[in-house]
Amino acid sequence: MAKSKVNNTSKPKIHAFHIINAVIFIVICLIVLIPIWKVVVDSLDLKTAYGMRFWPKEFGLDGYISVFTNPTLYHPLIISVITTVGGTFLGLLLSTLTAYVLIQYDLPGRTFISGYLLFTMVFTGGMIPTYLVVRALHLTNTLWAVTLIPAINIYDLVLMRNFFEGIPSSLFESAEIDGCSPIQTFFRIVLPLSKAGLASIGLMFAVNYWNNYTNYKLYINDSNLYNFQMKLRSIIMGSDLPSAAGSATENTVRNAAIMVAIIPFMIVYPFLQKYFVKGINIGAVKE
Amino acid sequence: MAKKVDPAIAKNLELLKASQRRSVKKRIWKYRGFYLMVLPIIVLAFVFNYIPMFGNVYAFTNYNGIKTSQPLLEYLQEHWVGFANFKKMFSTAEFVKAFGNTLFMSITKLLLNTVAAVIVSLFLNEILNIHFKKIAQTIIYLPHFLSWVVTASVFTMILSPTSAGLVNTVLVNLGIVEKGSEIYFLAKSNWWTFWFFMINLWKDTGWGTIIFLATLSGINPEIYEAGDIDGASRFQKMRYITLPALMNTIVIVLILDLAKVMNLFESVFVLQNDAVKISTNVLQTYVYYQTFQSATIANYGYTTAVGLAKSLVGCALVLICNWLSKKVRGRGII
Repeated sequence: MAKSKVNNTSKPKIHAFHIINAVIFIVICLIVLIPIWKVVVDSLDLKTAYGMRFWPKEFGLDGYISVFTNPTLYHPLIISVITTVGGTFLGLLLSTLTAYVLIQYDLPGRTFISGYLLFTMVFTGGMIPTYLVVRALHLTNTLWAVTLIPAINIYDLVLMRNFFEGIPSSLFESAEIDGCSPIQTFFRIVLPLSKAGLASIGLMFAVNYWNNYTNYKLYINDSNLYNFQMKLRSIIMGSDLPSAAGSATENTVRNAAIMVAIIPFMIVYPFLQKYFVKGINIGAVKE
Repeated sequence: MAKKVDPAIAKNLELLKASQRRSVKKRIWKYRGFYLMVLPIIVLAFVFNYIPMFGNVYAFTNYNGIKTSQPLLEYLQEHWVGFANFKKMFSTAEFVKAFGNTLFMSITKLLLNTVAAVIVSLFLNEILNIHFKKIAQTIIYLPHFLSWVVTASVFTMILSPTSAGLVNTVLVNLGIVEKGSEIYFLAKSNWWTFWFFMINLWKDTGWGTIIFLATLSGINPEIYEAGDIDGASRFQKMRYITLPALMNTIVIVLILDLAKVMNLFESVFVLQNDAVKISTNVLQTYVYYQTFQSATIANYGYTTAVGLAKSLVGCALVLICNWLSKKVRGRGII
């Protein structure tokens, strides 16, 4: 991938245009950040929210304390963590194994396998038949339904294959000569050489699982199995606002709950941004 | 994907293939471990993707969703209604509305987001300070990763007609809206649609720029230098060098996303409320409400039929886009 270059190398002179351009981008960044900043402020503000404050009027952590001490709130959080960790592992396992098989060019039936998988991107069973299958398998109201289904991600699998295709085939040949079994080659050569790909696709899976809402809405009725997104949704819709701790207002608790849903991501995002970007580039720009 | 091959090599390849065919059995044995590796996804895709495809046969019945112990074939025969569900569909105003909404909302969203992403990336590309550029990129990519539930939560509060609603507060302070007559944006279907597009722009414009920036970084700087020598202004260079260079990528992005227009669900679902439910329905939300929140006994046969119609249109779109993609860039999207 080419590194980003400044195209106008001939005129590095600061022009009025550059100042206007910078101002435009400051405004764009503010538009992006203001809604998020409002949530941050409101989650820390014990006074009733008003329009927009740039700083909490009455600072307090009571909103967050309500989230972490109320079992109806931290239980969904635990479900979210479990399914995100388990699902990401499962998704990565499935896609790396399959992608590894798909780069064995003289494997009999390779075209069939890849056609079989790609066809699911062309034609889908639809919401109701899929629901009926999940129900017939007695997987409704189990975490299996919400963990297994998003793990089958053909798009991510194709990205993984693209990463693997970048590994020089001479490495596979020499591994074979040295007596590596396919599974040894997979663990000793393919995976160590695809760390960036694993990070990038693993993160996509993790974000998908953490943000998973539709699958829960369809397959989970039991509120004991709700993940945090489901819980957050019902808090915002006002149907079951948890009792606020200390002097937190309802609004404080709501905003604190939103913050808890995005904080894990916010912490890792600045450090891992390049992997997120890498994923989309290898998928779309690859020729 | 196909590479052009020299005739002499092609002949050798033929010979090679012939010898390979003889050794298919040998190769199957050699690769036996690999079949085991691919087995899990084959089984999972069969269960969760292929069986539901066959499950679409319910579209031709009046199945009511209640579990039955009757053998499937017998059940299907007894409840078979032919194309009645499809006839009913096209004479139901709610379905026609949802169908139109799906196309209108996803295509408008696609065009708005693409135009915005192109403009933002053109100007982002002109930023000289590399650190400022990096920071701006980090910030504008961010909303893409927020879940739709979080996004809807944040904007429901920002757009609320109470004193906590940011937009109404600003409008009142500017004197555009009178205090006490704040607009309940998400409860009026025209405003709802407007904000649906705005929220989508907020969420995905930044992320959309990545692919365009990658293309822009590949443009040969010499072309710009030639432009300078010819005395081209900055905007002339943008118009006559940068934009044409982006054209191919724009077409690809449009084709790739056009294939997905029928899938609209979660973003609409989480922003809807009872006041605008019917007027803002898309096919997937329509199916959901008709099946799981129906006031009467749900007709799973009918909702499966709606889903099947949606899948067929989606399938046609994917195939058309695949064909277009092959024309434009020599390889398909699938």
